Amino acid sequence: MALLLGLLVVSPALAHKVNLFAYVEGGTIYTESYFPDGRPVTAGQVEIRDAADQLLVSGTTNAQGLYECPIPQVAELQIHIIASMGHRNHFTLSMAEIEAGL
Amino acid sequence: MIKNFTAAMLSGLLVLFFVSPGLAHFGVVIPSDDIVTQGENRNIELQVKFIHPHEGHYMEMEKPRQFGVFIAGKKIELTSTLKKQSGHSSDQDQDFSFWQTDYQIRRPGDYSFYLEPTPYWEPAEDKYIVHYTKVCVNAFGLESSWDAPLGLETEIIPLTRPYGLWQGNLFSGQVLVKGKPVPYAEIEVEYLNEKAEQGRLNAPSDPFVTQVVKADVQGVFHYAMPKSGWWGFAALSEADWKLQYKEVDKAVEIGAVYWVYATELK
Repeated sequence: MALLLGLLVVSPALAHKVNLFAYVEGGTIYTESYFPDGRPVTAGQVEIRDAADQLLVSGTTNAQGLYECPIPQVAELQIHIIASMGHRNHFTLSMAEIEAGL
Repeated sequence: MIKNFTAAMLSGLLVLFFVSPGLAHFGVVIPSDDIVTQGENRNIELQVKFIHPHEGHYMEMEKPRQFGVFIAGKKIELTSTLKKQSGHSSDQDQDFSFWQTDYQIRRPGDYSFYLEPTPYWEPAEDKYIVHYTKVCVNAFGLESSWDAPLGLETEIIPLTRPYGLWQGNLFSGQVLVKGKPVPYAEIEVEYLNEKAEQGRLNAPSDPFVTQVVKADVQGVFHYAMPKSGWWGFAALSEADWKLQYKEVDKAVEIGAVYWVYATELK
């Protein structure tokens, strides 16, 4: 019984791996943050950093897990998502992808 | 020596003669990658074939009736993008048609590719064969719809997530015909030797070539994949409709085929 309860309580946490996907279109960087089952990462902190890890822009995901902003710099960019309880991930947008989306 | 050789040839021929009709046919849809992560090539090349996976023997494949991808709740038709190719196994001396296309992954999610082939006339079995075949490619960690039914005449619904599998993992699925479970369905399982990365799978005798499992009363089956590479699952039923061959009604074998990739344990 204790084992069952343990399973019940633990299972949802297994899905806490956060994912981030980003693309560029018309001068804007669009980001989507989600759990593997498709639930959005809400109120997650998004940070856009340059190759030297310098913070360029930051913001918060909305109820759909989305955050967007104008391209801060035409260079390779690292986009980080920091969700609650320290769950985080990052996505790299290459220089080529940024240039293609200007 | 020559006598032995002749005897060997003869028994080889006899074996071929007796075994051939029993070779398991499989619809095949194999993508160049089953899990796309950031930084990886987002262009997926798909090969669409009709073969005996263990032996690698090709059969002539006409242009499929339908080929597409199910993503984010929608079916996208890709039949017109298929290009005709030809190939054969090392012990076949003529080429056979198969089909190939490229698909560009743009968004996160599960991409379920599906095939409805043109019915294949198999004179040795006096019937048509139609294998509705599926394979799933995951992109960027969003596990959105790998278990969604696509509404095919017959299909396997994976109960095990069909990617990110280790060799030795159990693959479970449910067999449906017209959306309903098939009690005690028979499922043939074969290894795709053509794409073997760690050496071919050799069968010491015929029963090893095509593994056979039966589903339970709910149409649910299980199989543990003993080797890394692509494994095909073909659940065979007889259609409740006929097709004509030379103006005579003939039975139609409908197969629900699913392909999964097992990764080597290191």
